[in-house]
Amino acid sequence: MNLFGVLEISGSALAAERQRAEVVASNMANLETTRTPEGGPYRRRLLVFRAQRPAQPPMLLAGLADGGARGIRVERVVTDATAPLRRYQPGHPDADGQGYVSYPAINPVEEMTDLLGAVRAYELNASVVQAAKMMIQQSLDLLR
Amino acid sequence: MPGVDTPMIQNLARFLDLSVYRQTLIASNLANLDTPGYRTRDIDFRRALQRAQTDLQFAAFHPGAQPVAGLLERPDGNNVSLERESLLLAGTQLRFRAGVELLRAEFRRLSAAINEGR
Repeated sequence: MNLFGVLEISGSALAAERQRAEVVASNMANLETTRTPEGGPYRRRLLVFRAQRPAQPPMLLAGLADGGARGIRVERVVTDATAPLRRYQPGHPDADGQGYVSYPAINPVEEMTDLLGAVRAYELNASVVQAAKMMIQQSLDLLR
Repeated sequence: MPGVDTPMIQNLARFLDLSVYRQTLIASNLANLDTPGYRTRDIDFRRALQRAQTDLQFAAFHPGAQPVAGLLERPDGNNVSLERESLLLAGTQLRFRAGVELLRAEFRRLSAAINEGR
C-alpha cells in the first residue's frame, strides 16, 4: 500500500460522507411530504456504512500488500420503519376516513446532528488527503 | 539493489515504507470513524522498525496491523478515537518529512564524495 492508497481510502470516505449529507438534505426537504411515488408519506432514509478492503494499487513492497487498511462504502440505503405521525386535518386532501393525515416521522434535530457529524468527518478526511498530498510532494522533491 | 547504496539509505527506505504503511492505517481508521463495529488498527512502530532493520528479506516482511487495546468503545461497537488518530496523523507526517530530509542529506553526502575527487 503506497501513499496513493491513502488517497483512495480517504477518497472513499469523502464520497460516503457526502452521500450521508445528501440523505440528510433529502430527509429535511421532505419533512412534510405526504405524497410519494410509492404511495403514502415520505419515509426517512438512512445509510448503512461498511468497511471495505481497498482495490489494490501497485505495491511498493509485496509484504505490505494487505495490512488491514480499510476504505468505506455505503452498503445500502434503508428506509426508517417508524410509523408515520398522524395529525388531525380533516380538510387536507390526503386525510383518511377519520380526518387524520400521515406525515413523515422525521426529527429535524436528529437530522441536523447527523449533518454535523457528516461535515466533521468530511473535513477530517479532507485533511488526511492534504497530509498524503504533502508527503507525496516531499518524496517528489527528492528528485530535484 | 544495483547502483549506489548505503546502509543509511536502506534503513531510511524501510523507515519511510513503515511510515507510509502507518499513515494508510490512520487513513483507514479515520475513514471508518462512523462505521459500526469497526476496530482501530495500528502497528507497533518501534518493534516493526527494529524487525525491518534486522530482517534481511524485507520484501517478505509483514508488519502486521493489530487491533489497538484500551480505547473507549461506543455503543455501536466502534472504538476510533478522533484525538488519537489526529495526533498520529500529524506525527507520522512529520516523521516522514524527517526521513525524507535525512535521505536528501545522505544523497548530498554521496554527491559530495563523488564530486570532491575531481
